[in-house]
Amino acid sequence: MGRYVLRRVAQAVGMLFLVMFVLHLLTTLAIQLNGNPALAFFGDKIPSPAQVAAVEQRFGLDDPCYDQPGNPCLGPFVERLGQYAQGDLGTNLRGREVTDIVASAAPNTLRLFVMVTITWLVLGMVLGSVAARWRGSPSDHGIRLTSVLIDALPVFVLLLVYKEVVTVPLSGWAKETFGEDSWPPYWFKPSFDPEHPWATVAVPGILLGLAGSAAFIRLVRASQLDSYGGDHVRTARSKGLNEGRVVVHHVVRNSSIPVVTAVGLTFAEALSGAVITEGIMNIYGMGGVLWDAVQSSDVGLVLGIVTILTAVTVLVMIVVDIAYAALDPRIRYE
Amino acid sequence: MRQARIATFAAGAAVVALTVAGCTPSDTVEDDGPVTLKLTIDQDMETLFPGDSGIADNIAILDVVYDGLVRYDPETKEPYNYVAESIESDDNTVWTIKIKPDLTFQNGEPVDAAAFARSWNYTAGHPELYSNYFFERFKGYEEMQDEIDDEGEVVKESPVEELSGLTVADDLTLEVELNAPFAGFATMLGYTGFYPVAQECLDDVEACAVKPIGNGPFQITEWDQGVSVDAERWADYTLDETPEDIDAINWREYAGASSWSDFEAGDLDVSYPPPADLAAAQEDPELSERLAEAPGAALTYIGFPLYEDGPWQDKEFRKAISMAIDRETIVDQLSGGLATPADSWVVPDGVPGGEAGTCEWCVFDPEAAKAALEKAGGWPDGETLTIGLSNDETEIEYFKAIGDSIEANLGIPYELKPNPDFSSVRSEQGFDGIFRNNWFPDYPLNENYLAFYAVGEEGAGNFGWYDKEFEDKLAEGDQAATLDEAVVKYQEAEAILAEEFPTIPFRFNAGAEYYSERLDDVVLDPFSGAVRVRALTVTE
Repeated sequence: MGRYVLRRVAQAVGMLFLVMFVLHLLTTLAIQLNGNPALAFFGDKIPSPAQVAAVEQRFGLDDPCYDQPGNPCLGPFVERLGQYAQGDLGTNLRGREVTDIVASAAPNTLRLFVMVTITWLVLGMVLGSVAARWRGSPSDHGIRLTSVLIDALPVFVLLLVYKEVVTVPLSGWAKETFGEDSWPPYWFKPSFDPEHPWATVAVPGILLGLAGSAAFIRLVRASQLDSYGGDHVRTARSKGLNEGRVVVHHVVRNSSIPVVTAVGLTFAEALSGAVITEGIMNIYGMGGVLWDAVQSSDVGLVLGIVTILTAVTVLVMIVVDIAYAALDPRIRYE
Repeated sequence: MRQARIATFAAGAAVVALTVAGCTPSDTVEDDGPVTLKLTIDQDMETLFPGDSGIADNIAILDVVYDGLVRYDPETKEPYNYVAESIESDDNTVWTIKIKPDLTFQNGEPVDAAAFARSWNYTAGHPELYSNYFFERFKGYEEMQDEIDDEGEVVKESPVEELSGLTVADDLTLEVELNAPFAGFATMLGYTGFYPVAQECLDDVEACAVKPIGNGPFQITEWDQGVSVDAERWADYTLDETPEDIDAINWREYAGASSWSDFEAGDLDVSYPPPADLAAAQEDPELSERLAEAPGAALTYIGFPLYEDGPWQDKEFRKAISMAIDRETIVDQLSGGLATPADSWVVPDGVPGGEAGTCEWCVFDPEAAKAALEKAGGWPDGETLTIGLSNDETEIEYFKAIGDSIEANLGIPYELKPNPDFSSVRSEQGFDGIFRNNWFPDYPLNENYLAFYAVGEEGAGNFGWYDKEFEDKLAEGDQAATLDEAVVKYQEAEAILAEEFPTIPFRFNAGAEYYSERLDDVVLDPFSGAVRVRALTVTE
């Protein structure tokens, strides 16, 4: 097990390096082709060469390679790697520490993910299990229809309708009914409130989770149906175990592997949902920060954040792998 | 038991989430508690350092955190002395500024001549700061700049750290010597870049950029970057322009997202609806009473790549394009009440010297446009006119309408070329068709709308346009004995622009904000379009 983890970590470091290098090349090329973000700083003014030079230096773009299309700018890349190795993730274009940005943006995104994951697990496990347990029943059909409907409704539509149509009357009603100082008005605030992060992120998180839950419900249903037909379940039943124990120990547990895999994989996907949710609900989070950074050719910030995200994703994958072993006694890592 | 543990964990997490969610509501606006004004920051904001603040949002915040030498009258737009006791000059070159006695910063340091001198020297010596270019007019600016080679690399760093034209004569007297006379000097001094800074601020500029030490009626308590800025009233403020009813201000950052739902839910004091919600807002009789409007100062105009060969080299062609654009209809349809069609290069009634109608060919006249195009020799067959602009969705809508107007009236096919790095392409003269420009003035004087056309040599600048006569007129204005005379000279320079027609004015932004029931005396700054917080009254 120890050696397995070590090997995975080594692979992860290699992958991280590769991702960073490709991203470095892409952002460098973007700057070389599109023009220097330093010039954008001046807007309509015509800067003197000294002003341009000073802003380029401030943005960390003073290396001449940024003016030569096709030059891979290895010098700045190696320099950046050196910094990263010392735990310094550098700054964004305007000199704000990347770690500072992440420290203030990441908790909000994590809050969102917590709500999303809870929604997935609760909806997926409950509805999926019900549909599998009573296959072909009206509730199975109902659940499957619901999951198709959920799929048909894009997340941004769901969020926009919630924000534009529902929040204003609902938060007004909640204020009148429960009072200004109670919880409910915060749950239905039209946008994020940094003073009450959990309360204002809950509903958007549930909605984002809801939008992604359809595939989850179907996955749980399919994999549990598989288990219901399995030999080990037949054996368990023939041993005379009661149905509850059969379902919990032999069906749910054995069908959890694909579910755990899916949680790991959709973690990365949830980030794209986070960009939308954060944008609409005005949550200061990683998705929105990354989005802005790419738009403004902020090489340092893009690389810093992607490095962190890649590291987290790889970590989640490793945790998922380890969870396999915990869920399925047949799986052992050497 | 493992799955049971997982289930317990999930349930536990949900309980924790909901408990944390619920246990925090506390300090909302109570009826008798302190009054917190709730405003918005609409763009991405990076700094609150005076010498580096150049967008409407940080300018608006610093307007209540700092006091400048002069402030501007909302009616006449003329400057009047505020921190300054007097600003005088005999020749418009050497200026003597006297500062009111006994003023201090929020940390107790004195606001004296040295406080201004250290601020200006710092900004003048740091070309990477937004307001650096203001000090180009000061004697000694050149000597402070590093030497740069043709590649844009620094060859020699300048050891000079102070403007030779800036002298602290005594505690409260500052002498300024400019490179050349400039009648509008006092007007410029109200701008953010000329605020004083405390020594403590320069000792740690990074900290000061996040939590400035001001000398105005409010002090910043916290800026959670990307999220919100909080300020509270500074108890020891001694001058008179301060809103008595407001104890604190909270600015929420929206970074381009709409704040309208929050306004509707009662969480904001000021906001303006996005286009989709505008009609509903306008039809609401109760809301319509709480609308403040003001002419805005920002000009959107169209430039030609005069650095490149093409039909645009002929003035008749430029006239044709201008007269083919139906500004009235386009602005009416798309602005949602936030713009007016432009027929001058300087905002009329917005700043001294601004007059409507200076642009003779800014009227929509398809027949005259066709005639002018013919005179210019027509548009080359098979060619497409490209229109360069940024990725901003609103601008794309506007310029699509402009392109349609040109195509319909002149038969010139067009293609929009949105580009995220639009400003860099523009300053590198990278466009090969017409392109969007926008000018947001820094201080209220017509000169500020014109000075950037003075590039000093043939082919330079964003447009590749140079006119000696125009630059001479600007210089004459700078040398005029009084501001009034200078304004007239600048108007004459605008007339040359109108005659030579290198760019086409398209629209001026207009300010408009809806405000909450508790606000009164809501006046928009004609200049920045932001609510003038210092004039507000709040009724609870």
